[in-house]
Amino acid sequence: MNVSVQQRVLKVIAEILNRKESEIRLDASLRDDLQASSLDQMTIFVALEDEFQRNMPPEEVTGLITVKDIIDFIDRKLQETTST
Amino acid sequence: MSRRVVITGAGVVSSLGMGVDEFWSQCLKGNTAVAGVPEGWPHYPQLHSRIWSPLPEIDHELLGVARAERLQLDPVAMLALGAAREAIGRAGFALASAGERSRNFIMSGVDSERVGVFFGTGLGGAITFLQNHTHHLLHEPRANLIAYVKKHDDPAGSEVLQSVIAQMVHGIRFNPFEVSMVMPNAPAAAIGIKYNLTGPNQTCCLACASGTVAVGNAFRAVRDGRVDVAVSGGCEYFADEHGHIFRSFDVSGTLVREFADPQTANRPFDEKRSGFLFSQGGAAALILEDLEHAQRRGATIMAELIGFAETFDAHSMMSLAPGGKQIERMIRSALNDANLSPDDVDYLNAHGTGTKNNDQTEAEVIQRVFGKSVRVNSTKSLLGHTIGASGAIEALVTALTLRDGKTHISRNLENPVLDLNFVRSVEPFEPRVALSQSFAFGGHNAAIVLRKYGPE
Repeated sequence: MNVSVQQRVLKVIAEILNRKESEIRLDASLRDDLQASSLDQMTIFVALEDEFQRNMPPEEVTGLITVKDIIDFIDRKLQETTST
Repeated sequence: MSRRVVITGAGVVSSLGMGVDEFWSQCLKGNTAVAGVPEGWPHYPQLHSRIWSPLPEIDHELLGVARAERLQLDPVAMLALGAAREAIGRAGFALASAGERSRNFIMSGVDSERVGVFFGTGLGGAITFLQNHTHHLLHEPRANLIAYVKKHDDPAGSEVLQSVIAQMVHGIRFNPFEVSMVMPNAPAAAIGIKYNLTGPNQTCCLACASGTVAVGNAFRAVRDGRVDVAVSGGCEYFADEHGHIFRSFDVSGTLVREFADPQTANRPFDEKRSGFLFSQGGAAALILEDLEHAQRRGATIMAELIGFAETFDAHSMMSLAPGGKQIERMIRSALNDANLSPDDVDYLNAHGTGTKNNDQTEAEVIQRVFGKSVRVNSTKSLLGHTIGASGAIEALVTALTLRDGKTHISRNLENPVLDLNFVRSVEPFEPRVALSQSFAFGGHNAAIVLRKYGPE
């Protein structure tokens, strides 16, 4: 897992949900553990698009449950772009 | 039930600075902010006007808008939130957090069910609409073109294709929040949500008269006892990345055409006027409050609102009716609402856009109703035209004029269209009553009457 990606994702999630970064565990579920509403989740992905300058359309992010899922997804996204 | 209505707080975001103190200081110096529009805009060579009044760089922290909110709000709502934040703070309402992890507030010392929001805007979140529409149209064709050029490795016409790709500029996404960002009621709703205000929440959408009507409707709601406090005002934001909105005003022939010297191009009421100066946007908020409510809180009172009237031209979508009959009826109705006559008015903040038609008709009406007995200025001679924000900004200028006994000049006025008592220099005077008026595309006319605050 890319540490810098992890840090940036945690920062974005903390900012959008108005929580401390230290409160956010990697295995936390956005919905069940962090109480992120569907609007919160949408906002997180819009913020992550800005942060990483990659498109993250709803159909691609629907299955992402935990913080780690998101970090892995972004890792893959970044690698896809670098390898092409 | 008829109550006295006073202004207890104000906030402003404008091309002359953020915050009432900076704004008023710049106004009294007769300053203006004018710059060339971006030369990279499509159709730049065809534009008749090429200057505008740009806003300072938006400081989201100063506006009180967090990152999550920035992603869900059009800039027009952020400007409204910034003005409302200053106004509520200046009115002296203490704010408590609305809850753990909430970015919203609860105003203490007031029943939130008795606080309303009345805000005006001309085009609401038009910028977001344009940005999303550009993405909607261009995203796939652009991606296909890029793929084609890549696949065929320098195909015939590559230069042309690259140039077309370069012109197909669009944002990173089709925003999932578009609907709630574009809707014109978003600024008023954003203020109501931010401060947990559960009284009536109203958007006044009447082009250039939006701000005046919003303040007027708020005045009536407080006077009639429907609310104790109202957050009123107006907002507009017109800086889309391709200059589309600028072009739409430009092509209709309303913008300033003689701009060899940008500093003197914007000249409301002058014989050499050639149109209005387009503004990037702005917002102003006024806290209107029942006098007794304000006194119980020990609030500082800026001025009193005492009258409001609206009329409609029923003539043309884009031109004032010649003769200004409905404007005159509006002025007389607003003064009647305040139990006053034209002789009682000391100062008039004119609509004063700088277009041939507006200034001629408006000056004729002022001469007919008031003669030279009122001092007249145009705030648009400094700021340009902020459309839905203008009426609220001018209401603020009117209140500050009454409070301080001085007002700003009507800038670039050399040969007035008529011999009125235009403000040429900043001199102390003792205004007791003032009127601020706005006219809008569509044919809407609105005026509010203010009085220097003092015991009746």
